Amino acid sequence: MSSDRLSTTFAALADPTRRAILARLVSGGVSVTELAEPFDMSLPAISKHLKVLERAGLIARGREAQWRPCRLEAGPLKAVADWAEHYRRFWEESFDRLDDYLRELKGRELKSKDKDKSDN
Amino acid sequence: MAQSNASTRTEVNGLGVEVAFTRVFDAPRRLVFEVWTDPQHVVEWWGPRGFTNPRCEWEARTGGAIHVDMRGPDGRIYPMKGTFQEIVEPERLVFTSSALDEAGNSLFEVETTVTFAEKGGKTTLTMHARVVKSSPGAMQYIQGMEAGWTQSLERLEAYVAKAAK
Repeated sequence: MSSDRLSTTFAALADPTRRAILARLVSGGVSVTELAEPFDMSLPAISKHLKVLERAGLIARGREAQWRPCRLEAGPLKAVADWAEHYRRFWEESFDRLDDYLRELKGRELKSKDKDKSDN
Repeated sequence: MAQSNASTRTEVNGLGVEVAFTRVFDAPRRLVFEVWTDPQHVVEWWGPRGFTNPRCEWEARTGGAIHVDMRGPDGRIYPMKGTFQEIVEPERLVFTSSALDEAGNSLFEVETTVTFAEKGGKTTLTMHARVVKSSPGAMQYIQGMEAGWTQSLERLEAYVAKAAK
């Protein structure tokens, strides 16, 4: 997958309806009419969302003229998951260091308090 | 690794647009907030183990500038620039940050919200991050950093194994 597509993927995922459509597709490919059922939206409105998802490479659509079933494409979602994993690791490591650093600071505070006591 | 009273939870919200973390630190909120807002402290903990921060500008006020040059264990520099959007002392920070390529262009921009809550002398830190934009090269950057990171962990493991003999 080209990295240009990553920003398109993030943009496509920013919409809650489109995320709901993807979630619906996890259990398998369905037709546009079936996809539209749970939403209070017209078929053309749903079709617009599907076009955005298709451009982002998140779904693929069958070529059958009447039915055109939609199905999930895993590639771009994996790139997003990879980013999330990278970000999570970055912060977990930073937080481990922050944890150690806070301990060190607290230790120093206690020591200077003890020193104050013994000075007095 | 110090994990005794720390809990980290990661959630991929929806389908991965937002990452959320919660972690408890055994320190009062004023101290945790201070180490998050004073660059002299931030430089000590920012980034994965094995990374240092030769440049750490961290102007913690609304509209204040962020510029951190992180140095990987392989010597590579990872520059990052950003802006503080909101600061509510001592409970909330919002900032945007962009990883930069060699020409100084933004590879991807992330908006991060950090909240601090105190209970019984401990501080619960909650972090929400979402990608605001991303450009070509973002994935390569991430992969490059992951590679440098893995190498440093492997070196550390080798070092520990040697020291244990």
